[in-house]
Amino acid sequence: MNSKITDHINKVEQAARNWLQPDNYALKEAIDQTINEGLFSFEDIKHQLLVLKENIESGQITAWAQRAGLSDTDNAVGKTILCLHAGNLPLVGFQTALGVILSGADYTGKLSRKDPYLLKTFLTELNQVGLDNSINYSTDLNDCEGLEADEVVFAGSSASVAVVKKEINRLGAASDEARYLIRTAKFSMAYVDNQDALTMKDLTEAIFRYGGKGCRSVAVVVSPYSLDSIKCEFTDYVESFWLKNPQHQEPGPALAYQFAYNKAIERSQAWLDHFLIQESTDLPDQDFLVNWVQGDEDTVRELKAKFGDVVQSIYTTGQQVEGIETTPLSQAQRPPLWWQPDGVGVLKELLCSYS
Amino acid sequence: MNFADLIFSSGSSFSEKAAKVFNYQKDKNPVYQRFCNALGVTGATSPDAMPLLPIQAFKETTIITNPDEEQGSKESSLIFKSSGTSGMRRSCHYVPDPELYKQSILKGMRHFYELDDFVIWAYAPTYSENPNSSLIWMLNTLIDNDASGQSKFLALDTPLDKKELTAIQQSDKRMMLFGAAFGLLDLLEQQKTSLPDDSLLMETGGMKTHRREMSRQDLHRQLAEGFGLSKASIHSEYGMTELLSQAYSLGDEWFHTVPWMQVSIRNPDNPMEQMPPGEEGLIGIIDLANIHSCSFLLTGDKGIRREDGAFQVLGRWNPQDLRGCNFLIERD
Repeated sequence: MNSKITDHINKVEQAARNWLQPDNYALKEAIDQTINEGLFSFEDIKHQLLVLKENIESGQITAWAQRAGLSDTDNAVGKTILCLHAGNLPLVGFQTALGVILSGADYTGKLSRKDPYLLKTFLTELNQVGLDNSINYSTDLNDCEGLEADEVVFAGSSASVAVVKKEINRLGAASDEARYLIRTAKFSMAYVDNQDALTMKDLTEAIFRYGGKGCRSVAVVVSPYSLDSIKCEFTDYVESFWLKNPQHQEPGPALAYQFAYNKAIERSQAWLDHFLIQESTDLPDQDFLVNWVQGDEDTVRELKAKFGDVVQSIYTTGQQVEGIETTPLSQAQRPPLWWQPDGVGVLKELLCSYS
Repeated sequence: MNFADLIFSSGSSFSEKAAKVFNYQKDKNPVYQRFCNALGVTGATSPDAMPLLPIQAFKETTIITNPDEEQGSKESSLIFKSSGTSGMRRSCHYVPDPELYKQSILKGMRHFYELDDFVIWAYAPTYSENPNSSLIWMLNTLIDNDASGQSKFLALDTPLDKKELTAIQQSDKRMMLFGAAFGLLDLLEQQKTSLPDDSLLMETGGMKTHRREMSRQDLHRQLAEGFGLSKASIHSEYGMTELLSQAYSLGDEWFHTVPWMQVSIRNPDNPMEQMPPGEEGLIGIIDLANIHSCSFLLTGDKGIRREDGAFQVLGRWNPQDLRGCNFLIERD
């Protein structure tokens, strides 16, 4: 890498390090506000920040730039990227924002009203290190009027795409030729073929961290073991997890309705106060619901094919599942900076589009 | 208990009849009993308070009220199965009393139409490949009911016979062309044919196929143009394998139920709760003709309802909307 881009990467890294300093009162205040307003739990915010700190301190910003091939010639300088951040997790937009800014593109973020404080403090820090690219943000999409962005990144379902595009067109927030990078993944799957304590702990974290929300959270477990044979032991791990990480949100009445339905059809299930685990090969269609499927690697492949693009990742405890890309279960809620939502890394995507 | 009297008589209100059916099924239907018990519902006098069993239960288990008693009449029973490709779970609806279904079909049609004035022509490709299709059974019932002998299933992939149409026109009968949406469009593709002015076209849904997907409005516009009828002559039937009663739209987008059926729109986040008129939700149905299976059902269809009980079907509820990250303009 030559000096200009190295300088840019170093500035971004410096901003990230500054942001995570223990004496960053702006961040502390943002954490307090987020907790006080009941948006996310302290434990989940702490977990997210610790993971980011580990990643940044181990040099992952530079490593990410290298992996993507960022250079003076391969970058997105001069392009304008509009990011519409959803707010299911604390800092869910962090990776997207970091990737866009690292690419050299001008960043405009529509921050989620569910997570308006944390990401804002990081963007403020970036604005203070003298980057050449501009960084703007707002919680109101109307503030993006006339932006004419070259690319729009947003998380949504296929059904929401048309609505979002219509609104962006109305505001002139993106150019007529703008590309759209749409994140449609909803959940992840885990293939668990042993009951080791470490595996059970990793599985618990993979399912229950962030209240089960976010596309990296496991909502479908495939295992040679039936739910009935494992649920007592597994419940102990879950209770232990919740002692340290109290559940932040409660499920609505629809989950109790699902429980009653399972009783009606005599389906195996485990009611865990804030969560329901049920034996089912269906698409998990509610928050706080996990589908357990007794099966093997073939089952994993079949379900992946059945669910399609809504599956983000497939975690295993180390073994490969032929024909499918897998990720270590232990990384479910501790991903490296360069993890690829929907299989598309934002930095690499921008470099491919505009280099 | 005389079930036909209970269901079809006009002597008592819907709520009173629903309460009797609710108590009977909560007592005698093991699936519905477990469902109510798990929800802590021990009694209900108002239809609003009666839990609606998710309709996919028909794919997961056998739903029979009073199963011990119904075993005896198994030989005369019907089994309706939804269509589906291999490997796909199909809904199974056990119907121990076909006569009751027949009554529901004929009384239901007569509630809205002068049925005896009509010749029924039925065109239902793909459904005819399913020997357990409830739609085919219904169409057979309607055809058999016509003493004129002019009612029939149309041959597949064959344009309408203009001579026969003229014969119906010259008789004192009206034509009711009954068919799956895509089948009717296929008929038009073979040959555009103007039906007699006083004809009715009854589409039974099926707007989404491997070949095309369209809104009900577009479908009705195409059918009206293709068959030379006014839009008011394009009606729809809303039915499914799991129901023994049907709702009909009579030339617009609003469906009306027969007196022994009631539709409510339920909150997807809490199906025990009704949505206010005009707000979208899951279509819930109480079909008293389902006395031998389960009368209280929550469909996977999205709909809205008017104050007067008429409702619109807005497609399937997308379960993916319920989970995960979603940037929404109004409420991100």
